[in-house]
Amino acid sequence: MSCKITANGHPRRRLVACAAAIASTVPLASRVRADPLRLRADALAETQGASSPTGLIVLQGEDARRPWVNAEGLVWAGAGASSATGDVLVLTLRLHEPHGYADARAGRFVLATGAVHPVQIDGAHVIARAPWGSTVETFGGLPVVPRFGTRSYDWLVGGRVAQRVASALTLGVSYVQRREDGELSNEEVGADLAAAPARWLDVAAFGAYDVTSPGLAEARASAAVRWTDWRFELFASQLSPGRLLPATSLFSVLGDVPSQTLGATVRWRAAPRLDLLASGAGQDVAAGLGGNGWLRATLRLDDRGDGSLGLELRRVDVPDAEWSGVRAIAALPLGKGLRYSSEIEIVVPDHPDGRGVAWPWGLSALSWRSRGGWEVAGAVEASSTPLHRYEADALVRLSCALGSISSNVPGSGGQQPAPSR
Amino acid sequence: MRTGLTGPMGLSVALAACAGVLGLRHDVPSYPFEHRAHVLRGVNCVECHADVSSAGETGPLHFPTDAVCRRCHEKPHDERSCQGCHGEPYVRQVAELARAQLRFEHPSHMVAVHGDCVRCHSAVTEARPDSVLPKMATCFGCHQHRDQWTQRDCDGCHVDLRDEGAAPDDHLVHDGDFLREHGVRAASARDLCASCHTERQCASCHGAGTVPALPWKLAVGDVSLSGLHRAGFAARHVDEARADPGICTTCHTESSCVDCHTRESVAGTTARSPHPPGWASGEHGVQARLDPSSCASCHGGAGEQLCVGCHRVGGPGGNPHGAGFTSHKDTHHDMPCRLCHGVGG
Repeated sequence: MSCKITANGHPRRRLVACAAAIASTVPLASRVRADPLRLRADALAETQGASSPTGLIVLQGEDARRPWVNAEGLVWAGAGASSATGDVLVLTLRLHEPHGYADARAGRFVLATGAVHPVQIDGAHVIARAPWGSTVETFGGLPVVPRFGTRSYDWLVGGRVAQRVASALTLGVSYVQRREDGELSNEEVGADLAAAPARWLDVAAFGAYDVTSPGLAEARASAAVRWTDWRFELFASQLSPGRLLPATSLFSVLGDVPSQTLGATVRWRAAPRLDLLASGAGQDVAAGLGGNGWLRATLRLDDRGDGSLGLELRRVDVPDAEWSGVRAIAALPLGKGLRYSSEIEIVVPDHPDGRGVAWPWGLSALSWRSRGGWEVAGAVEASSTPLHRYEADALVRLSCALGSISSNVPGSGGQQPAPSR
Repeated sequence: MRTGLTGPMGLSVALAACAGVLGLRHDVPSYPFEHRAHVLRGVNCVECHADVSSAGETGPLHFPTDAVCRRCHEKPHDERSCQGCHGEPYVRQVAELARAQLRFEHPSHMVAVHGDCVRCHSAVTEARPDSVLPKMATCFGCHQHRDQWTQRDCDGCHVDLRDEGAAPDDHLVHDGDFLREHGVRAASARDLCASCHTERQCASCHGAGTVPALPWKLAVGDVSLSGLHRAGFAARHVDEARADPGICTTCHTESSCVDCHTRESVAGTTARSPHPPGWASGEHGVQARLDPSSCASCHGGAGEQLCVGCHRVGGPGGNPHGAGFTSHKDTHHDMPCRLCHGVGG
């Protein structure tokens, strides 16, 4: 694209040229193979929103001649209750060695690796990989303060070392230290494991150990078996709420009453277009023993999954939280880019305690997507909650994608989901 | 006689309808191309897909033209294009996606498999969207790619995975309860996740303080999107938090609830206070020990002074530490110990 040609020119001329280049690609967007510059703009307005209307701009940049560098940014601005507001969700520059031996990113991003809890930071993360399967990571930065708030003396550093064993097993050890106002707020060592000893079996686990107040802060494990149209997963977890809090919090000194969960999930593709998913778990929470379970059925109305119907039944039965719920969804393509979708949920608490006998929630939405990258969606949401006997909200979203660019939300297939591979 | 047939006929219609809805029978107006019939008649693949043996990474797709069809089918039943009816529209779409997103050329592969196309296109006779392209597992049958997998070097085959947007179905499977499962799966392979997912997709949930709206609102109109906070979450969030103590803390910072609770007047001594009458007299201690993160979600930071007033050393609140509590912190100088144990605390 012309952006590459003007890359060495005067900055202002370069900016103008880039803007012109972006504008000139609108009709060509669908034919470009790998767009060096991609722009997406979203506007969301809702009657009940805390910062509505909101405008988001996403810019992704990469260069076919320099595949070792790319950048991504998402900034947004909205009208707050009393004044304008906004923030930077992501602003990242990524450099990577073409063969994958090294990878570095800097800017604002979500850091999550090994047993390190996800945290959004302004900082850097470097990964080095050796041909024999060793990986060394190091990271550091300042935990993000939302809405450009003032910073205190906060920072975070850590790293991870991992080794692949026999191509089917990866073992990792991680360390993180975080400071708030200069005080130690979190210091953990962790271990993680991922194994795929057979094509039909994979296992993953991690555990984080609190060094400040010695004890297990969090541990999770999952083992899954796949066989034709079936998938069976066994999972377990332990969480220590007191240790997940920053060690600078007064509430972190109350002691350790961890909760444990052991459960299983089964997925069965009962028919080419019908998926059944069931999950159940036993729980030992601080208040006593309990459990939860749900059953979900999804019926695709066509081979591509443009339309679908879904039904979910759920039951939670742990002390102080006992309720049943049902949720139904429908997505119906109407042709010419139009799609109607609807979602209904009804939750019935066992002990209403003045919060209402049932909490219904419903949404109806109509969306339209053009071939040129425009998308408009309007929705009406209505509910009854413990706080509000009746509540209604209207939402309108307008999106425009310049060049092929993925949605801001993972799993959002849009109206034309890509096929699997 | 007539009455006797009504039942079986009705049942047959119902079964046929169910079979169509469930995808067991295809009832779309277009027809999947009859690959099987052609193969059984002894027609070799390259007789129709003639250009495939010379097709490079780019260029037009190697789909047969009407002229190729008419070499055998001398009397077509009408003058419309053959591909208008024979062959599902998605086949071309899938092939175009592959052409744009995969670095692949047929000639060298055809030599390797001695012209046996079915070695890779084993499911070509099944008319389904996912049977057109060989699965990645098929590629791995010959190409091990272990080093590339370890190095997260996908560019050798994939032009742009983030743009491609195709969900993997034979490796890194995303089915099951992926919302709960993805954390433990990503622990050892976050950088592998990043080969397809953008930074902002992670941040849309995990950038808890900097997101402009809940993820489902940014994708309003797509009800198939799963998410922790979708549907009537606002109504059930208290019960969700109680059912899994500490789960909120894995993403949200302490005191993250204050903004909303203040806006909704669910705070302080208002009629909407989440605390029942008599809360301060003893019940609060039990509940705080069960899930201290729920207390911190509103009373964290400056709000901690509320606790210190009673629970400082020598205060009327008594010792708040649970049995077996230990810490490496300096009692007199470090936070939060100094709030109660510090000089003058």
